[in-house]
Amino acid sequence: MPTHSTARPWGVLTRSRAALDALEHLVGGLGTATLALLALMGLAATAVLCAVGVGLLLAPVALRGLHGAAGRERARLSRLGPEFVGPGSPPAGLRAELASPVTRRELCWLATHASLGLLLGVAGLTLPFSAVRDLAFPLYGHLLPPEEMAGAAMGLWIADDLPGRLAVSALGVGWLALCLLLLPGMARLQTWPGRRLLAADADTDLALRVAQLTATRAAALDAHAAELRRIERSLHDGTQNRIVAVTVMLGVARRALDRDPAIAGEVIDRAQDAAEQALADLRAVVRGILPPVLEDRSLADALTGLAAACPVPCRVDADLPARCAASVEATAYFIVAEALTNIARHSGARQATVTVRRTADLLLLRITDDGRGGADDRHGTGLGGIRRRAEAHDGTFTLTSPPGGPTTLDVSLPCGL
Amino acid sequence: MRIVIAEDDPLLREGMALLLRAESLDVVATAEDPAGFLAAVDEHGPDVAIVDVRMPPTHTDEGIAAAVEARRRRPGLAVLVLSAYVEQAFATDLLAQGSAGLGYLLKERVGRVQEFLVALRRVAEGGTAIDPEVVAQLLSRSRPDNRLERLSPRERDVLALMAEGLGNAAIAEKLVVTDGAVHKHIRSIFAKLDLAPTDRTDRRVAAVLHYLENGER
Repeated sequence: MPTHSTARPWGVLTRSRAALDALEHLVGGLGTATLALLALMGLAATAVLCAVGVGLLLAPVALRGLHGAAGRERARLSRLGPEFVGPGSPPAGLRAELASPVTRRELCWLATHASLGLLLGVAGLTLPFSAVRDLAFPLYGHLLPPEEMAGAAMGLWIADDLPGRLAVSALGVGWLALCLLLLPGMARLQTWPGRRLLAADADTDLALRVAQLTATRAAALDAHAAELRRIERSLHDGTQNRIVAVTVMLGVARRALDRDPAIAGEVIDRAQDAAEQALADLRAVVRGILPPVLEDRSLADALTGLAAACPVPCRVDADLPARCAASVEATAYFIVAEALTNIARHSGARQATVTVRRTADLLLLRITDDGRGGADDRHGTGLGGIRRRAEAHDGTFTLTSPPGGPTTLDVSLPCGL
Repeated sequence: MRIVIAEDDPLLREGMALLLRAESLDVVATAEDPAGFLAAVDEHGPDVAIVDVRMPPTHTDEGIAAAVEARRRRPGLAVLVLSAYVEQAFATDLLAQGSAGLGYLLKERVGRVQEFLVALRRVAEGGTAIDPEVVAQLLSRSRPDNRLERLSPRERDVLALMAEGLGNAAIAEKLVVTDGAVHKHIRSIFAKLDLAPTDRTDRRVAAVLHYLENGER
């Protein structure tokens, strides 16, 4: 939200946009403030009724109104950004709920927002309305009855002739200037009590973060174990079998030497083929552990290699001015490898695109295909693996795959530099 | 000797068939997965099956389950299981039904054709062949109350060869001693391990493995 004007000629433009944003926020705030007012009246009525006894029955409903209004405001603050972490739900039971600091802070907010927030919202709406009304006054002023003409200029002068009406219009310019000047501040002021009183306190914030880190660390270990399993399998079922085949052939050749040297020669040829296959398998396994090209060249080169090996035609668009941490690049590489394998196996796509960009502190990957869509990371280990890899790096993973396609996979990874 | 081979790696499957046929053995069928293997056993009624432990779909221990199932369908079928690595649990699963006509060897033993054929024949005749690696792993397992420690080094050697499935004569040859000396060692081993001695090779192996598996009783 750009709220600071600059010295450049577009200063007014920037300010106008900021004011429009602020107006939008103020109107949203007016909505939650109205809710807050209703909740506050409900609470007050309940409190009064408590004196006569029946109020206790209404208390849970009134409290639900309070939490509801607070929840709306939290959702609004999250939308406005930056990231807004709310506390967990208050404890069950009327007494505990009333004693909870969460509830108390919500009550403070309710009182502030229902008064100050409402006022700011109404004022915020009135300002631009007045500006438009007065700016357009010369167009309709002559149609008004005389007593209203007298009030048009806030009673300062009587706008019954053209100069008078133009002066009202100038007043509109003043309102407009006030809008540009005041609205952003008013919007900030309106959100301030919510940000102070509805946010989780530092402890809750940390606890959530710890829970999240614990989960992603477990996922990272899982991903690591799955990785080792994959390597073990390709060594045992691929490379080792080739080498056993070599020893079997050599055994056959050795026994054949005495009986029929010609057959022995033929079998030795097959043994050599098997040994070469074992070497090729071994290279593939090593590439799967950490591709040498990633180390020697760059992520873009490594991804181009992956795309070339993919059975589905794949275009790589990588614009990376600088390198990221080795672990991040390796993760990016394996995510793309996994995604392309998935595309080749399941999507039925005719074309895929890998886009890689770098912002100041994020590596952004986007992999799209024109396949049949309907992908889901909860089924299919491939996509789940991608999510775990991304989350292990504190990154994000978003999958958009409507039935019928196209499928888009967005991953962001902190660069770690 | 009619043989069925179950091995998912095509190169190895063909290699083994080539090897056995070159030795004038009758390979009646080869299979690449458990279902194909069981069908081949039903169809051809072989004397021996050579089975890879890791087969599709999960490449874990399908071969063991297939071997057990094949022996259930065709009692007396000799089975030689080949494994990429030693896993005691596999051996235990296999031997749970008795060790007659069972073998468990590392894959690479196939390359030592002479020894492999000896083991294969022994299994086909109702004997046992356990890979030295498996036996070594079993013997080296430490236990709180280890009666194996009562054995002399020589007796341990004899026990290890017994556990592999060798007969007295073969053991005597390997250790370069007389048959009589081997007899004496074996009697002493059974006494120290509290096992009743018998002459049947497979029961000796069963006793040895059972003891090693279950600890003291």
